Amino acid sequence: MQEFDVCIVGSGAAGGTMAKELCEGGAKVILLEAGVEVHPSQLLSHKWPYELPYRGLRAEKQAPFYPKDISAVWYKNSDKVGVDRVRVLGGRTMHWNAVCLRYAPQDFRERSLHGIEEDWPLSYEDLAPYYDRIEQIIGVCGLDDHLEILPAGRHYMPPIPWRCSEHILQRTTRKMGIPLIAVRKALNTRPYDGRPPCHYCGHCMDGCDVSAIFSSPDCMLPKARATGNFTLRQNAVAREILADREGRARAVSFVDRRTKQEEQVKAKIIVVCCATVESARLLLNSRSPQHPAGVGNSSGVVGRYLHGHLGVGLNVYLKELEGVKPFNQDGATDSVYIPRYNQLFGKSDYAGGWGIQMNFASYMFPHAALDLPGYGPSFKERVRKMQPGFLFFGSFGKVLARPENYVSVDRARVDDYGIPIPVVHFRFGENDRALTRAMEQSMLEIGSRLKGTVFPHFGAGPGGFASHEVGTIRMGNNPKTSALNGFCQSHDVKNLFVTDGSCFTTTSEKNPTLTIMALSMRAADYIKRKRKIGEL
Amino acid sequence: MKRRTALKIVGLGAIVPAEWAAVAQDQALAWSPKDYQLRFFTKDENLLLDKLTEMIIPADQHSSGAHAAKVSLFADLMVATSNDAVKTEWRNGLRLMQEVAARSSIEAALAKAAEHEGSPQTGLERFFKTLKEMTVNGYYTSAIGIHQDLQYQGNTYLASFPGCTMPNIAKED
Repeated sequence: MQEFDVCIVGSGAAGGTMAKELCEGGAKVILLEAGVEVHPSQLLSHKWPYELPYRGLRAEKQAPFYPKDISAVWYKNSDKVGVDRVRVLGGRTMHWNAVCLRYAPQDFRERSLHGIEEDWPLSYEDLAPYYDRIEQIIGVCGLDDHLEILPAGRHYMPPIPWRCSEHILQRTTRKMGIPLIAVRKALNTRPYDGRPPCHYCGHCMDGCDVSAIFSSPDCMLPKARATGNFTLRQNAVAREILADREGRARAVSFVDRRTKQEEQVKAKIIVVCCATVESARLLLNSRSPQHPAGVGNSSGVVGRYLHGHLGVGLNVYLKELEGVKPFNQDGATDSVYIPRYNQLFGKSDYAGGWGIQMNFASYMFPHAALDLPGYGPSFKERVRKMQPGFLFFGSFGKVLARPENYVSVDRARVDDYGIPIPVVHFRFGENDRALTRAMEQSMLEIGSRLKGTVFPHFGAGPGGFASHEVGTIRMGNNPKTSALNGFCQSHDVKNLFVTDGSCFTTTSEKNPTLTIMALSMRAADYIKRKRKIGEL
Repeated sequence: MKRRTALKIVGLGAIVPAEWAAVAQDQALAWSPKDYQLRFFTKDENLLLDKLTEMIIPADQHSSGAHAAKVSLFADLMVATSNDAVKTEWRNGLRLMQEVAARSSIEAALAKAAEHEGSPQTGLERFFKTLKEMTVNGYYTSAIGIHQDLQYQGNTYLASFPGCTMPNIAKED
């Protein structure tokens, strides 16, 4: 059996970055991906609703990203959360809005600054050079707004022009002392890295058919492939990581979805990048006499501290834009962003904060028609006239990392390949509820100050995770309370790394993908250094 | 699923990746109002539904309404491919509506159903919410709703995005 220097499991933001970096560093890399490539020609992004069997109301556009045979998950005694597991080549980079926000220095120090959770085993300063590098590679548009809560990069492409509704919003937020900035997205506003600029169709979340948005298959994997050091194996569903007698990782066993055959790939180093739920599942399924609780899990931490983002939505229909002649406002979905601001208004009785993404929805469907009372000619006319003033608020709030929220595996429940599926156990805590109430109240206040009609879409309680789940294989300095060190290396198994969102010690209100890529790049540098001196 | 559809999918199995099977199945179910055959509603139910949806979103001087957009046929497809609870809700809801209409008129029945839209109390009132949601979803995802009524301008390829083109709004910043 051929032995590779490195076997990476998972091809999304973390796995793609790792593959590119290590291949360029001279390592022979094999990447295992459970899904397959979704070619741009297969995307349904530009289809009209009436061209789809169920008008898109049954997620037909997203169906290619969620193959049923490898998507099973069991929510056991769980609150209203969803774990997003895009199972195709490129993972969630194929189905994302591309918002790229750096964590702030304080986001790494929750214990030191606020007495909650844990500090990360690394600082913003440790990660800043990698934020710089990754932003340059993927291409990010935006501006440096000189905000302490949201550090900026140095290499941004021009920002996306603002819509009229967003100019109107700024008049209000300015009076309230709330910042409103150009969104930062991994989206080309000019040709970049051999990829064309955005054509502003407003379908970012349905998959970008021209690669104007960053994705791992369009940006990272070609660079890895160009080195001649890269081997890609699709349809490879990882079953477990196999250990040698000393407990070191020696191989990954997997099932080929097409042949249903069991295979193994041997490697000196194994890097797990399957995302928060799948990575925990893989480690927990990797039991051996050397690792009876799962590989890298002598602490019992693997699977625990599952958390993510709270999500709350609110629609406003601005009076000032009511009845104007319809014009194309879709753009690149978001144009602006409201960074966290609750810390500007004194101490609160809960920990954490939220940021608000604006208008990440198309103007094609008049959501007001589902909210407005009545029917008949006046109803129809009102819907039509209100639609140009649509302004959508989608906020993401911090959820606390708590050990009682966890992912496990159940040997009695297996997928089509006989692999135990993940089981999610999650309950929101009091801080999550308090933050949700504050977030809703604040959004209502902004909405009420805008001249228009407000439709809050609040649930009876908190809901998550907005595809931003993290934390199940967390980093830390103490091997008894964490699974990984600051370089995403297993405390127990030195040739095992985990570099996706599961390695986060805590979350902030910011979208995690940019930080995932920066951490993966930093871990790749560490691996390259250690390989060079023969320690890996 | 029709046998012919099933055979088509099985036939494609060898060359279509597994994850595309679901999509292929859905595409095969795609329908065109021109040749659409009712799958769940009876002819009488469809007639009633067609009238009700047209009353919710009627034709006016600006655009055609739910009847022209064939919203009742869209509803038939959606209900026919839903679970039994949904089917029962629709069958009972239309029956209730028909009963009230028989005692008064269809206009009065719809008005009665919509009386407490914010906090429905009766079966008829609860059905109005379902009926209206289906009508809104069917109409505003149809070509008539999107292009003729809303005159939606997006879903296109632009060389650049101008942002706000209303100078009186943009200049204030």
